Amino acid sequence: MIVAVAVLLAAGCQWPRDAEGTLDRVRGGVLRVGVVEDPPWTVVDDRGAVGGAEAALVERLAAELGARVEWTEGPESTLIGALSHQALDLVIGGMTRSSPWTKEVALTVPYFTSKRVVAVPLAADSSLEGVPVAVEAGTPEVTFLAEEGAVPVVVDEVPAGVPAVVPDWAVDPACQRAVLELGSTDHSFAMALGENAFLVRVEEFLLALPPEEIRGLLVQARGGTGCGR
Amino acid sequence: MRPVRVYDKFELPSDKAELHRRAVRLEWWTLGFFTVTIVLVALVLGQSQALKAAWVEDILSMTPPLAFLIAARFRDRAPNKEHPYGYHRSVGIGFLAAALALLGLGGYILVDSVVRLIARERVPIGMTELFGVTMWLGWPMIAVLTATMIPAVVLGHKKLKLARQLHDKVLLADAGMNRADWMTAGAAVLGVVGIGAGLWWADAVAACLISADIVRDGVRTTKAAVADLMDTRPRTVDGEPHPLGDQLTAMAMDEPWVADAWIRLREEGHVFVGELLVVPTADADDLVHRVAALGDRLRAADWRMHDLAVAPVPAIQPAE
Repeated sequence: MIVAVAVLLAAGCQWPRDAEGTLDRVRGGVLRVGVVEDPPWTVVDDRGAVGGAEAALVERLAAELGARVEWTEGPESTLIGALSHQALDLVIGGMTRSSPWTKEVALTVPYFTSKRVVAVPLAADSSLEGVPVAVEAGTPEVTFLAEEGAVPVVVDEVPAGVPAVVPDWAVDPACQRAVLELGSTDHSFAMALGENAFLVRVEEFLLALPPEEIRGLLVQARGGTGCGR
Repeated sequence: MRPVRVYDKFELPSDKAELHRRAVRLEWWTLGFFTVTIVLVALVLGQSQALKAAWVEDILSMTPPLAFLIAARFRDRAPNKEHPYGYHRSVGIGFLAAALALLGLGGYILVDSVVRLIARERVPIGMTELFGVTMWLGWPMIAVLTATMIPAVVLGHKKLKLARQLHDKVLLADAGMNRADWMTAGAAVLGVVGIGAGLWWADAVAACLISADIVRDGVRTTKAAVADLMDTRPRTVDGEPHPLGDQLTAMAMDEPWVADAWIRLREEGHVFVGELLVVPTADADDLVHRVAALGDRLRAADWRMHDLAVAPVPAIQPAE
């Protein structure tokens, strides 16, 4: 059996193969991508144009496959449902390996790890005891900060020049330093179950990405780092 | 003439005792092997429901060796006032536990694979990084599954041999469990290759076929275990009627002073226990000594014959 597989590989056949032939269909065809808006991973503007770091990666993947991207924006549960029934080929939008969808869809190997850190201006003290720290509303870090003894100041958008919770890749060593890590997320794309040729192709693409390049795309999508924003 | 000892302790003959020690070692090896397997399989299985199934399988597979080792601690304890028949039955209880584990394993895999087929469940197997090398996760999965098959085959084969020599049915059920283990691992290898070939149903179909065989084995073993606890006629580990009862009756009938004889035996783990009725001829004298001597001779005839009460009766009415 192993010999048979080796012969197949030597003959240049595809291995593993898709259950429904997604990779063959996408090559030179259309890549149907669901987008959950989650800046800076994905951004959808007023006219419906899709941007953000992951959208840029998908465009690059599509170019490698000679495919045209067909974007569909929507809520995560809807898009995951469509993906699990193969009405989409890929769903992006800040998906992580700890997502609750592991029974419905396949999550690729993580291509980037993003940490949430408390960054303070270079001159500031590194102790956070009783220090007001700006933190984006609706993130679990609001709770974590309070547990660390800091005073969470919940804001819609984190301002520059004050202690704040920011992603580690957005910390600009020219004006600030990270003093505390509050958590990290491993980012993946969501894909249909059983389409293993396509899964392996996308994972090969993701694993070949230099982290510096992803960081650049993220900073660009975020609109700059801690000092320049 | 020696007095009859009550609460007589049973010892295996020295050659069988050595075999039993080997069986105990084998079962400790089995427990160690499954612990390693659980860790290895957990490392490579990644995102899949198969992980849960593998854990359930491994836990069930540890039941027969545990049952054997627990029964081995009790089986040869001397009888006492509270346990006048001794502790041999612990082996029968262990046999039932092991048989139920085997049946449970087969049933679990059968239900699980049928549900997966009906739900048309697909398995994602993507890339993984192992020791700095990026490869398709299917390859290390196949390697680990194949590696776990080898010890299961070897252990199962050794246990089957020992089970026959020792008349040990727990060991037999455990050999069946090892057979189930390597067969499911083989089915899983076929399943991974099938998934690689784009056949989403391959895994579930292979598991389904194998589990049907395990269920059949489990049903047969459970039936045998229940039958032993019901004191049906003793059977060999292979399920054939045990010849010892007939042999002992023939030996009794060979005595010139025995006109008729009838025996009933039941199996208590490794050993047989029972009653022999004898009808003495009219001219038989010194009956007490003759009966005692016959009992001793029959007990000495086979190591399995542990406890035999010989009773003289005036006549035996044949069974209807």
